[in-house]
Amino acid sequence: MFECQEISAEHKDLIHDVSYDYYGDRIATCSSDQYVKVWDRNKEGKWTLTSSWKAHSASVWKVTWANPEFGQVLATCSFDRTVAVWEETVGDTPGPGKRGQRHWVRRTNLVDSRTSVTDVKFGPKAQGLQLATCSAEGIIRIYEAPDVMNLSQWTLQHEVQCKLPLSCLSWNPSPNRSHPSMIAVGSDEPHTTPGGKVFIYEYSENSRKWNKLETLNITEPVHDVAFSPNLGRVFHILGVATNNVRIINLTPVEDSQLSGLTKLEIETAAQFDDHNSTVWRVCWNVNGAVLCSTGDDGCARMFRILSKTSWKPEGVLKGEGNQVPTAVEAAHGATQHIPQGSPVGSIASQTARYIKLGSISQPSREPWY
Amino acid sequence: MENDSKTILIPNELCRRAGIAASWRPINEISIFPYEKRSYKQKDGPSNFASDQPSSIFHVRHEVILFHPILRKLVNESNANFLALQEFVAEKPPDSKTEILKMSRQYRSIIRACLLNLQDDIAKTNITPKEKQELKDYITIFYSIECIWHLCEILFIDVIPGNIVLPPLLDWVRFHFPKPERNAATLLSGDTDNLDLEENYWPTVFGNFLQGRMNVVRALLQQHSAAQTAVFQLALNVLKNMPILNIVPVSEFSLRWRHWTAEIQIKLDAKQFMSNRNLDLIMRLIVGEESAWAEMHPHCETWYDFLAGWLFYTEPTVKTFELGRFADQSIDRMRVKHHLKHLDRVLLAFMKFDLFEVIKEIQEITDNGWLVSHLTDILFHSGRLAMLENEVQNFSSEDLRESFILDYGTTLMGHKSLWQVGLSYLDHCHKDGLPAIKLLLPRVAFDSEAKATNIISEAKNRGLNKVAQSISKILAMRSLSQGRLGNALTWASKSQDRLFISRIADKFLQEYVDTGEWRCIDMLDDFGSSMLASERLIFLGKFIELHKLYQAKEYKECGELYMSLLNSKLVPQYFWSVLFDEALTLAENEQLVFSSDQTEQIIYRLEEKQNIPELVSSKVYLLRLALARNLKRALMYEAQLY
Repeated sequence: MFECQEISAEHKDLIHDVSYDYYGDRIATCSSDQYVKVWDRNKEGKWTLTSSWKAHSASVWKVTWANPEFGQVLATCSFDRTVAVWEETVGDTPGPGKRGQRHWVRRTNLVDSRTSVTDVKFGPKAQGLQLATCSAEGIIRIYEAPDVMNLSQWTLQHEVQCKLPLSCLSWNPSPNRSHPSMIAVGSDEPHTTPGGKVFIYEYSENSRKWNKLETLNITEPVHDVAFSPNLGRVFHILGVATNNVRIINLTPVEDSQLSGLTKLEIETAAQFDDHNSTVWRVCWNVNGAVLCSTGDDGCARMFRILSKTSWKPEGVLKGEGNQVPTAVEAAHGATQHIPQGSPVGSIASQTARYIKLGSISQPSREPWY
Repeated sequence: MENDSKTILIPNELCRRAGIAASWRPINEISIFPYEKRSYKQKDGPSNFASDQPSSIFHVRHEVILFHPILRKLVNESNANFLALQEFVAEKPPDSKTEILKMSRQYRSIIRACLLNLQDDIAKTNITPKEKQELKDYITIFYSIECIWHLCEILFIDVIPGNIVLPPLLDWVRFHFPKPERNAATLLSGDTDNLDLEENYWPTVFGNFLQGRMNVVRALLQQHSAAQTAVFQLALNVLKNMPILNIVPVSEFSLRWRHWTAEIQIKLDAKQFMSNRNLDLIMRLIVGEESAWAEMHPHCETWYDFLAGWLFYTEPTVKTFELGRFADQSIDRMRVKHHLKHLDRVLLAFMKFDLFEVIKEIQEITDNGWLVSHLTDILFHSGRLAMLENEVQNFSSEDLRESFILDYGTTLMGHKSLWQVGLSYLDHCHKDGLPAIKLLLPRVAFDSEAKATNIISEAKNRGLNKVAQSISKILAMRSLSQGRLGNALTWASKSQDRLFISRIADKFLQEYVDTGEWRCIDMLDDFGSSMLASERLIFLGKFIELHKLYQAKEYKECGELYMSLLNSKLVPQYFWSVLFDEALTLAENEQLVFSSDQTEQIIYRLEEKQNIPELVSSKVYLLRLALARNLKRALMYEAQLY
């Protein structure tokens, strides 16, 4: 059985990104309406809109949380060519037992890009407070806040030219400081180009440079990449959203020339054409056991790892309008609908409404009682 | 697309029209929102879907019934039993069978207790119909679990002497189909006259007959109004002589049984029971007449209570490994082959000793993996899973066990008060347990310092110092944002991150620079050795000590400490001004603090630092004046001494 909670997001246009804080107790959303909104969950599980502000002067593509070690910090990137870092501050008069007035302050505006900034991600916390951005002009930029108590100071540490317009970026969540930092970027350049459209970069402490390790042989436009959380494996797993879903294992191998550069052995662990259309996004659950992809077929599809090279589709989620099916439909359909509760657009923003989704379709099996 | 993958529909028009995208919400929720890919190549502006109808976000998750308070006891008690089992097998005892059987029974009594709880609750009057339905669902789930576990225990965990499976099988059926016995008790305890007029008299007789309760059957027959007739007396006599299976050796029993049924057959052939149809039917059943058994179908609720009765009379010495074949036959006879429910399939798979099928099926139970994880674990430890490794290539029983325990533990980790229970399961996953804890433990949300301390100690117990330090840092940042500087410093000092501690200590010193006051300096006494983690913290500690000495009028020590601070390399740039203010206070003190030598050193430092912007020239002037006067006092005092 599944249950579903609806939160009215109050954006006036489609949402481009929904991002959860480390504990899943706060939501940040961004939209073409140029606003960023933050939602907080109370002890009873109700979500309340606590902040909403116009963050950019164009569509906001992505929003992302920094690790809570750095406080309550967000980064956003936009069509307006800028990246902004936001910090939540608490007003001066927090009475006993009361929370002070909270609001989000723009700590910095990073304006180095000359084109739309398509993705922004904070680096693994072991490396300090780092921020990577990628842009349509094909440049990866790595920023760093040297003083974590002062987020208005960011230095542009590196600029990496990739030549192709970039659409997405992912840090390898390397578990410790001894691992060199690794980034994967993807390009949605529509024309086929020699080589591929996913690039893997690694930071070399010796040369203090980001070096390209590999180009993955994916020639179709790439819309999203995501490294899996590392569960103590010796290899890394990268999910790629392109004309299908691909799951790629990257195994570091010792380099014979001892140049200090890692070499990667690349192996496609799985490829799923289930969307039968362009795949826009991929994301991992907390322990990396399940990859969720969404695509042009209007479906979110989940895939579960069985072994290093074996994955299986696990479930599908789909938007289905708000009509309640007739009894006959429900009996015949492979899937059932959830009865619609209160109309969308009511003041549902502060209610925690759970809908039971008794909708597991298993034509081959009878449901358990 | 695979046929049996699940589709979940989100009841939202915008999601249907625009399409959707997904994010994960830690730990186990998926978040769906209406989404349409927009490219930077398109002209930026409102999309086709822009409207005043705001879009929604949907959180979808597996319903976790184990989080229901009524099942809390089950979760905790089964956890204790699970841990006891792990501890027991870790010692690698030479003979573990009896102990494991005991633990299997313990699991069953936990399930039983849970069911009793549920039944108590459902009988309450103050519950809503919705809650009632929920409880009903739970009861159905746990009845099935009890039934499955019991059969599994008989076939896989218990040791059956001589593989004679019928006695325990009968016990199992009697336990899970208590109706005949209950009805008999009601009948027998009531008015003894004319029992046979009761509508359920004969069904009760047959029900008990099928469960092999011959004493009950005879007691019921004796209360029949015609009990004194010849045919009843004959039947009672025949039934009294039924051989009982606990006779050893088995061959002896078989001989007697054959003899007994042969005698009945002779009496049947002589049509001695013809005058009572029901008694005649009983006798025909005993001799295994097909047509008679066909009449029993309505008396059976399921194919397996039929199976037990049928075997009792026709194959009483059936062996464990023959059970599957007879189960199939019994399903055929009951004509339920195409109506098998989930529970039926699980039980059938058990009887066929098809553990793979069993495990596949019990995963479908909506108990969030409670049964599959605990049952697989106990089967693994009793050595029953390892046998499968010979049958299937590349199959590892340990991996199978671990994957279920890992999932179960992960599910519990997602609950605000069950996370420690979840942790204890992950602890017993030798391969992926620790990495999973490393990922999940820091994500356990805490709203109190008590809970955070708890998480930190769990992390330290597992050698995850990084996790512990990270939580300390997060607490420090939270305290900071709440304006609780002292608290922030305490937590920061536990993070062992030198830079981080210094930054917080800076905030502390900075606040003193700004306000000239300390907040909660008492806690600085508690730092002890962790003080040494950062130079800035050492400075802070020493500076506060200076104040304390001054207040205690220990001027001599105060002066010494001041000098050591002044000459240390620990003074932050922004703090020099404050440090010189202290010199001013001490120099103006009634009692002489600084010697002439010390005063000269201070003057030297002042000249060295006079270009620091915070040091305003008026202050420098005052200081020079005060120091000059102090020098005069000191020289005079020293002159008197020597």
